[in-house]
Amino acid sequence: MSGCGCSGTGSPRGGCCSAGPSGPPGTTRRDFLKIVGVTGAGTAVACGPPDYADKLIPLLVQEDERVPGVLDTYATAMMVGAEPIALHAQLREGRVIKLEGNPQAPNRGRLSALAQSALQDLYDPDRVPGPRLRQEGSAEGVDPVDPFAEATWDEGFAALGAALQQGGVVLLTGGTPTARDRFFGEWAAAVGAEHIRWEPLGYGAVLTANQIAFGRREVPTYELQRADRIVCFGADFLGTWLSPVQLAIRFSVARDVDRGRHAKYTFVGPRLSVSGLKADEWVPARSGTEGLAALAVAAVVAERRGNGGQLTSLLARYSPEAVSERTGVPAEQLRRLGEELAEASAPVALPPGFEGQSFEATESHLAVAILNHLLGAVGDRVRFGGGPPVTAVASLSQMADLVERMRSGEVRTVIVADANPAFTLPGSLGFVDALRQVGTTISLASHLDETAAGCSWILPSSHPLESWGEIDFGGGRRAIAQPLMGPIFDTRQMEDALLQGAAAAGRPLAGPPDFAARIREGTRSRFVAEGETRSFDEWWRALLAGGGLLGRTAEPLAEQPVLDAAVASYGFAEPAGPAETSLLIYPTVQFYDGRGANRSWMQELPDPVTRAIWGSWVELHPETAESLGVGNGDLVEVDTAAGSLTAPAFVYRGIRPDTVAIPLGQGHTAFGRNARQRGVNPLGLLSEGADRLSGAPAYAGTGVTLRAAGGRGRLVITQGSDTDLGREITKLLGVEAVLSAGHEAEGHDVDLAELVQAAYDSDPNSPYRWGMTVDLNACTGCAACVTACYAENNIPTVGAEVSAQGREMSWIRIDRYFVETEDGGFQTVQQPMLCQHCGDAPCEPVCPVYATYHSPEGLNAQIYNRCVGTRYCSNNCPYKVRRFNWFTYEISNPLNLQLNPDVTVREKGVMEKCTFCVQRINRARLAAKAEGRLVQDGEIKTACQQTCPAGAIVFGNLKDAESAVSRKSHAKRGYHVLDELYTRPAITYLADVTHASVPAAHGSHGGHGDAEKDGERTEAGSHAGEDAH
Amino acid sequence: MPGRTPTDGGDGLMATLANRIDSRLRRGNPLPTLADANEDISRPILVPSWRYAALLSVVIAGVLLGGAAWAWQIYRGIGVAGINHPVGWGLYITLFVFWVGIAHSGTLISAILYLFRSGWRTTINRAAEAMTIFAVMTAGLFPLIHLGRVWYAYWLFPYPSQRMIWPDFRSPLVLDVFAVSTYFTVSLIFWYTGLIPDLAALRDRFRGWKSKLYGTLSLGWQGTVREWVHYRRAYLYLAGISTPLVLSVHSVVSWDFALSIVPGWHSTIFAPYFVAGAIFSGVAMVITLMVGLRFAFGLEAYLTEYHFENMAKLLLLTSLIVGYAYAVEYFLAYYSADPIEQESFLWRARGAYQGPFWIMVFCNVVVPATLWFRKIRRSIPALFVISIFVNIGMFYERFVIIVTSLAHEYVPSGWGLYTPSWVEIAILIGAFCWFYMWFLIFAKLLPTISIAEVKEHLEHGKEHGHAEAHAGHPGEYE
Repeated sequence: MSGCGCSGTGSPRGGCCSAGPSGPPGTTRRDFLKIVGVTGAGTAVACGPPDYADKLIPLLVQEDERVPGVLDTYATAMMVGAEPIALHAQLREGRVIKLEGNPQAPNRGRLSALAQSALQDLYDPDRVPGPRLRQEGSAEGVDPVDPFAEATWDEGFAALGAALQQGGVVLLTGGTPTARDRFFGEWAAAVGAEHIRWEPLGYGAVLTANQIAFGRREVPTYELQRADRIVCFGADFLGTWLSPVQLAIRFSVARDVDRGRHAKYTFVGPRLSVSGLKADEWVPARSGTEGLAALAVAAVVAERRGNGGQLTSLLARYSPEAVSERTGVPAEQLRRLGEELAEASAPVALPPGFEGQSFEATESHLAVAILNHLLGAVGDRVRFGGGPPVTAVASLSQMADLVERMRSGEVRTVIVADANPAFTLPGSLGFVDALRQVGTTISLASHLDETAAGCSWILPSSHPLESWGEIDFGGGRRAIAQPLMGPIFDTRQMEDALLQGAAAAGRPLAGPPDFAARIREGTRSRFVAEGETRSFDEWWRALLAGGGLLGRTAEPLAEQPVLDAAVASYGFAEPAGPAETSLLIYPTVQFYDGRGANRSWMQELPDPVTRAIWGSWVELHPETAESLGVGNGDLVEVDTAAGSLTAPAFVYRGIRPDTVAIPLGQGHTAFGRNARQRGVNPLGLLSEGADRLSGAPAYAGTGVTLRAAGGRGRLVITQGSDTDLGREITKLLGVEAVLSAGHEAEGHDVDLAELVQAAYDSDPNSPYRWGMTVDLNACTGCAACVTACYAENNIPTVGAEVSAQGREMSWIRIDRYFVETEDGGFQTVQQPMLCQHCGDAPCEPVCPVYATYHSPEGLNAQIYNRCVGTRYCSNNCPYKVRRFNWFTYEISNPLNLQLNPDVTVREKGVMEKCTFCVQRINRARLAAKAEGRLVQDGEIKTACQQTCPAGAIVFGNLKDAESAVSRKSHAKRGYHVLDELYTRPAITYLADVTHASVPAAHGSHGGHGDAEKDGERTEAGSHAGEDAH
Repeated sequence: MPGRTPTDGGDGLMATLANRIDSRLRRGNPLPTLADANEDISRPILVPSWRYAALLSVVIAGVLLGGAAWAWQIYRGIGVAGINHPVGWGLYITLFVFWVGIAHSGTLISAILYLFRSGWRTTINRAAEAMTIFAVMTAGLFPLIHLGRVWYAYWLFPYPSQRMIWPDFRSPLVLDVFAVSTYFTVSLIFWYTGLIPDLAALRDRFRGWKSKLYGTLSLGWQGTVREWVHYRRAYLYLAGISTPLVLSVHSVVSWDFALSIVPGWHSTIFAPYFVAGAIFSGVAMVITLMVGLRFAFGLEAYLTEYHFENMAKLLLLTSLIVGYAYAVEYFLAYYSADPIEQESFLWRARGAYQGPFWIMVFCNVVVPATLWFRKIRRSIPALFVISIFVNIGMFYERFVIIVTSLAHEYVPSGWGLYTPSWVEIAILIGAFCWFYMWFLIFAKLLPTISIAEVKEHLEHGKEHGHAEAHAGHPGEYE
């Protein structure tokens, strides 16, 4: 019987498998064990994930480059919102487990939260697993959410081909600076289709304004790193606008106090966004009047600098005094701002962005362009020609026209790719209804989003990380995107599907028949141009390994435009009379235009402004809230001419009383388990109103009426008190004190680094004591670190219900504290809070079973399989950074493929917390040991540090006096949170720095918390009224 | 003098017995024998009434409810309880401390009052000790119930294992394990030792299997002088051993909190404060139970106003200590000049949990203040009501200390609130039923008053002729 040869899949050939564990008489012990083993393996295989993962290590003969247990890094690239991002994807055993940035690219190796979470799209269990055809006919037996039946790709191509032959085809896509976008154009031309691009968050207003101002239909790059004075007229450039990662990097350089500079930054606009909260000064201009404010400032600058020239007469009409009433800003404030800008040597103004996308958005942008011209920023801080070529997308009226043609039957086939107009168009356009009237509708989406749900065919495309592609970074830099792994589902590269369809229609495209080859061939001209001595294959492989052509080219700066003289006679329209209360719809760092909504990491990522998760809210000024009689979580009904919605209120001091703001991205009716039926989609409130000149949808300026709807909605806010009550949890210092040499006022009187190295804190024989510095001045609160930590450390998301009970699992969180300033305003400090790895940790001695202990290298370690779950350590942690597994959280297949094999997945009843990415420390230490040396400074980067766009986090060895972290720990701005407890944290925070007038000793104003005002985190409410009506 | 009873000098029990003897004489009954005491006290034993059976069924149902809730919690994860981040301890630890507190007065009454020769303890010590045992048995469940992974609870014990990992003796939770298990062991032995002569009496009263049962439990007690001499010695020593435990156990339990750095917990007054609170709640529970026993078993003659007044005095004293501790906590917070400590205490009285806080103050300070009046101290219905108030108040005291401190700690962004879930409420109900279940079983299985000690008093009273002298004035005895 021993030679039975049953395979793991357990065919019942021979006696042994069918005999079962009990065994026939005469079974020996050895046989019995064999049987148990085989049946066990068979069961394990049967119950395991689908067959692509049926073996732990699938390769009997290893492929080159793939060693089990070793992390592989491959370069690729993808679009994240409007920002091109080059990646270094980390793979284990052939699966992508973590995304990091490519250090060669403009994103300098750093990623945003949205980019980090792309993995959850890749492994999303809600992806469309294969071609699908809509079940027609009666509702009987057809699932209303997913009325699709499986189909084959050949059927799909045939359908696509047939549709193309019919004519009347519209290819509706997103607009990106990619080879894909070019391909769409070529394809549409070849098959005779009309190509329409639609992005809800487009740059039409910028393009139009620059066309008028400079004769260049371009979006410039903003070289903030060269600025010494920054004013932003509304764009959330650190969160969602243009290229937030790159701009955050540049912004942090402009304000690097350690290099003796700190550009003062003023934010003009009705609401403080992520970028607004970082400002030194807030000029709360009325929504839609950013342009007026910019003109007023420009008038002062021209007056001061005397460089108004032909513009003088134009600007004379917009003196601060003249616009004061309309903008709702005191003339002195605008005048002072103008004077400061005029005096600065390298000032720059940022445009209104999406938050300022009002009915006169183009003119607002034009006003800012004029201001930049007067500031001398154009060509230096505002550069044309070096950035990614931003594509123009359809205007709202063009989309309305498309909808009309779809209704009339003129359009016979709609193919949608990389766009979700059913969700992102204002509801009043009626795109969804129109889609139903089109004969053939084909979606190339990877998810069953709102548009796909209305289509007759879904030909699911592979994820960008499974696809070939090429992204234009501008300035001659191009990243090549290569598939990191085979498709998880039965999906195709989008372009290949379209090529097949064109072939089926008998209209094949010229060139290679697959997109990968087209990309490869597309680089040949560059190969020739570079005069390479290597063969093309070698060159191409090197290109892939390096991520593409990313090195800074020696290309000279493109010719910079000058302000068109005609602008001087431009007649600015008068902004519409202020609505009593106007609506502001803004994208968030979590969801962007809604594409992040099915990623649980994004749903559970506290909004940097409101700290709310898993839902929508309506931001109201405290006065507005009071007049309505509502507080946080109370339902508010928002009505416009086009629609109405009800959502919980969030009372926010950073918004004008005459403005209500609602985040974009929630309120999906399809798309997946996390997105569906959650929150509200504010686009339902918009009519076809658009920016007059560019036709971009007007996200600001629609008049609304508010009404308390009664009852409570679900609004989970993860933060307790909004102020630190003078406990010096955060520190905010005046910029003069920090920059002036030899300032002693705020220096700490204990040598922190010495304290950290105190004997208790690590084994005296160990060469390492790991430590960190967190620069609050650099931190923008963008929360990329939080998501990076989720990805790296297998942190589960717990869902809305469980989060409402205060049980989210984030190891690193961002606390947002408001600090009162002397002039009656406030400043905001965003503080990443994570395990402080205390030298004398309060959590350690209280654990009865040594599950939490101090490692010889000073880490405060948590041993999951020793933990019995008393939670005493968490109670005794003054920083409240420990997280408890209240349940065993399910990680749905195939999201489990993303799990980091180097990090334990925790079960219910176990405490966990930040480990300083101990798996990365171990990896580096082992590598160093193998080479007989110590770990070098900078060799280890924690996940949070690695991704931080602002470079706020520095990690390293505190015992090495030369390490970056040691040097930073000695900074005068350095302090330890809750120093008085003598916990001796390994994390030194560097105080935030502001130009605002902070109280001399921020933090000394008593400590008597107002129990009425300083709340605890909001409780869960009912579900009532979440949906838009 | 080995044979000397600890009740010399007269006490209420003797007076009541004298009363009883008197009345029998007056009714023309024959002189009572020692058998009368046997008969009176052991009459209810093993004679269940339908009322008893009904009550027992109710509490067993409650236990099953709590057990089911616990099973669900183990299956699903402790998240089914309302505890969260930052309030990691809630109702479970509240109940742990509450029941450990209840356990205290048992040993206080039996051991300390024994050593102090306070004769009034005689009729209540048996039930008080039983209450101690059962309360510890209840309390001991909660450290298990609150664990995230209860199946590894044995890791808290220092047992030899291949892995050579011991518990961390710095952790107050390990100290707890030792304190509570020691207390349970000693209390059980002390109680059992006291029971031995009574078990022998029951053995002689019954026939058949009952006689065998009690005979086995009585360890062959014959009642010889030699046995009595050793017995008395052992009892005295055990009383001596138990006494420090009364102070130590709740001191150790208080260190669960005092050794942490949580504002509102980290306080040096916690040990005496908790011990006083424990005695306070324990005495209140004794009163509650004794009123019940007295009513159910017709023991009015043995449990008189005199006993209740003495317990009421103890209640008043400990109430004053507890009230003082409340005030001192606030003073310390003020005097520390530590804004975080101050905020924590202000919030305790003004924040989301001000309800529990003021219930606590009302029940533990205001209500017991009525005991300054002798009339109230001697009114058994009034005492019953007050004792219930104190039980509630002490429950809330633990809730307030645990929950409000955790809810508002150092980092204000981490503040949060806690509301118990249905699982915790079910386990709370189950715990009370569990306690009463054991108490009911005890009441039907064992003499609720020490027969041997009562008989000693009977003999003693006859010899000294105190019966007549003190008849009618039992309250005069101090």
